[in-house]
Amino acid sequence: MDLHRVRRLGGVLVASQLRSGRSTSDPKSLFGNPRLIGVVDVVVFLLTFGLADLAVQSVGVPPAELLPLVRDLLPFLPLVAVAAVLVAGVMFELTATSKFSGSDSANWLPLTPREYVAASSAAVAYTYSPAIALFLGATLPLAVATGTFYPWVGALVLSVASLFEGAFVVEMVRSLTQRMSAVNAGRRGQVTLLLRAALIVVIIVAFQFAFNPVLLFGLLQHAATIDLVTAIVPLLWSTQALTDWLAGAPLLGLLFAVGQIAFVAFLLVAAAWLRSRFWVVTASEVRLSALRYASGHPMLRSLGLSESEAALVSKDLRGYLRRRELLPMLVIPIVLIVIGLVEGGSIGGLGAILWIGWVAGFFALLLATTSVGQERRSLQSLYAFPISSRTLLRAKATGVLLPSIVGAVATSVAIGLLFGFPALAVLAIALLNSAAASVLCFWGLVFAARYSDFQDRPRPQYLRPLAMLEATGSGMVLLFAIVIPGGLAILHPVGENLVWMVWTVAAILLGGAASVHWARSGFDRMLRELPF
Amino acid sequence: MSALPSSGAVLRTGPVSPNPLEVDRISKSFGSVRALTDVSFAVPPGQIVGLLGPNGAGKSTTMKAVLGLIRPDAGMIRVFGRDVREDPVSTKRQIGYVPESPSLYEFLTGAEYLDFVADMYSIPPDVRRERIPQFLAGLELAGHENSLISGYSQGMKQKVALIAGLLHHPRLLVLDEPLNGLDPRSARVVKDLLRNLATSEGVGVLFSTHVLEIAQAICDRVVILSQGSVLAMDTVAALRAHAGLGGSGLEDVFLALTGTGDLSDVVAALSR
Repeated sequence: MDLHRVRRLGGVLVASQLRSGRSTSDPKSLFGNPRLIGVVDVVVFLLTFGLADLAVQSVGVPPAELLPLVRDLLPFLPLVAVAAVLVAGVMFELTATSKFSGSDSANWLPLTPREYVAASSAAVAYTYSPAIALFLGATLPLAVATGTFYPWVGALVLSVASLFEGAFVVEMVRSLTQRMSAVNAGRRGQVTLLLRAALIVVIIVAFQFAFNPVLLFGLLQHAATIDLVTAIVPLLWSTQALTDWLAGAPLLGLLFAVGQIAFVAFLLVAAAWLRSRFWVVTASEVRLSALRYASGHPMLRSLGLSESEAALVSKDLRGYLRRRELLPMLVIPIVLIVIGLVEGGSIGGLGAILWIGWVAGFFALLLATTSVGQERRSLQSLYAFPISSRTLLRAKATGVLLPSIVGAVATSVAIGLLFGFPALAVLAIALLNSAAASVLCFWGLVFAARYSDFQDRPRPQYLRPLAMLEATGSGMVLLFAIVIPGGLAILHPVGENLVWMVWTVAAILLGGAASVHWARSGFDRMLRELPF
Repeated sequence: MSALPSSGAVLRTGPVSPNPLEVDRISKSFGSVRALTDVSFAVPPGQIVGLLGPNGAGKSTTMKAVLGLIRPDAGMIRVFGRDVREDPVSTKRQIGYVPESPSLYEFLTGAEYLDFVADMYSIPPDVRRERIPQFLAGLELAGHENSLISGYSQGMKQKVALIAGLLHHPRLLVLDEPLNGLDPRSARVVKDLLRNLATSEGVGVLFSTHVLEIAQAICDRVVILSQGSVLAMDTVAALRAHAGLGGSGLEDVFLALTGTGDLSDVVAALSR
């Protein structure tokens, strides 16, 4: 492996990510320079170090009393590193479009798969390193105060190794999902495309759960044979190494640490093998059954949509299943719902209603805010077609509402069965969540019409980041204004729930009317002129 | 109209014009960059008008303005006598547009995409069943129509974009570099088709290209844009005469008019 080439390619990949995140990029600016992340690391580290040091000095707790805290915190730093890279990797790295996903140019440069994987993983690890700098800065004063500086250094080394561990796993998933995108080459039919979508979702969900810190912490807390668990799960060897070191068994700790480093090296080899074995340079030809060339979509037309609206909705729904970069959006509600069901026993009836309502609303908001930006450069075609802004708005809203309401109803029924709610309550929950999803859909379209991002980037962001924050924050306020009183109205006996019911209906009507009005004006304005 | 009009020459044929397209003194700026300045020209029925100019001259901006994709800061664009801003939806029904770089929905198959476009223009099923296979066969795409567009070559994508632009019998065609990436046979089919549509059906065609031989071969008139302004506008023969290059081809006329005639120094420097 030529480390110089690895370093150069890694630098280019980081610069590409930094510069693609902004609409105007001055290559000479620090904000487009890979050193920016190093600066952020140092600033975050010093800031958290200063605050934690101030806290340790001012509280004045004796070192002996701080030691248990250090023993709790340090061993979990490597897990935090893995979790940060995996969550961010799935959300951001794997949503990269096929045009950029593997940095295709690397395919015709004289690079070995191992060099590419090393460079790409280093870029991913470096990009997400501020997450670990934050915790390292916060724990250093504690380590100094308790005389555990050397274990802290060990935590630093193992955390960096864990960043790479997560990054190699991201590379493995990237190769496998790319393979899934092309595995049906030459075969015919919609079923193969659905199968492909399902397989990609399964791979991402499986990796999410395999490396989910919530489940791992649960495993550590509940497993009776904790030593056995940590001994057989390599992901936990860093944690075990630090735990042993802090417990006065440095040799055993060293053994686990060496094992962890060896496992990371093994992941590099495995990721490189997967890339060379499964990477597909470009999506192969996928053939579908012959089309009849007929104005169709009778199901969508039966909802009252016009011919062009139905065609637009059909196109968007196909996109969700066929576009690899959009599939992770379908993963989010699945992961959230499964976590909710796993934890269902402890959150209670109102908690379950709120959880499902939140997932339905958040899913609708996510789809809506990204629905316009996902047109990317093809938006030009929509502008050239003889369609009005109302046609586009109705189509976009329907394309979001269909999957959101189907999901809201299905999960409401599932939660109703899990908690043994009466049929009327299940119906009310389904209606409540469908209404919440509808309001949040239009609320998301308000932002999509105004702040969509159509840039062709390695990581498409669909909506400008600040607008996404504003949409999410305000959307959550709107959502809770609907589902909290709604949940209380459903759980209270008839007669006592009138106030909550009035509140819920008022929030739905007012929020819905305002959202529809602003979405309409936004679409009217948007279609006046092509934004690029 | 004679060649080399003064910048901003107005072409008007009365309040209601039969011309498929009239561009009347349009200007457009993007921030501090002046993209178009007082651009005026017309596309009469049955004529193919070539829009020529160096890179960045404003050809694509002009075409986008015609479609209503961007709004000029000043001036007016009329399609069949109507301001494009009055009723953009019905105006677009009369236009067939092929963008410079077609951004197709790559997750659809060619057939699905064309069916989608047909839905947008409300083309009856029997018409699309007849026309789409004809176009596919004519441009040698038959057999590929059920593959995802993401697997197409650049030329195949261009063919799909061309079919999408022609499918609904437009009366005005706005084609931005339509022959990009086409193989010689398909390019010939498209050129002959455009000539046929113009001559026998009176379709107006606005056609931009960098390949001056193509413009010379098929355009009735050419408009040369440079730095956002109309530099010359007439038939190729008249432009030749005006530039004092009677026996030359359009390339020499173009280079002379755009002030880039003598390239020997550049070639010599690049050959070192």
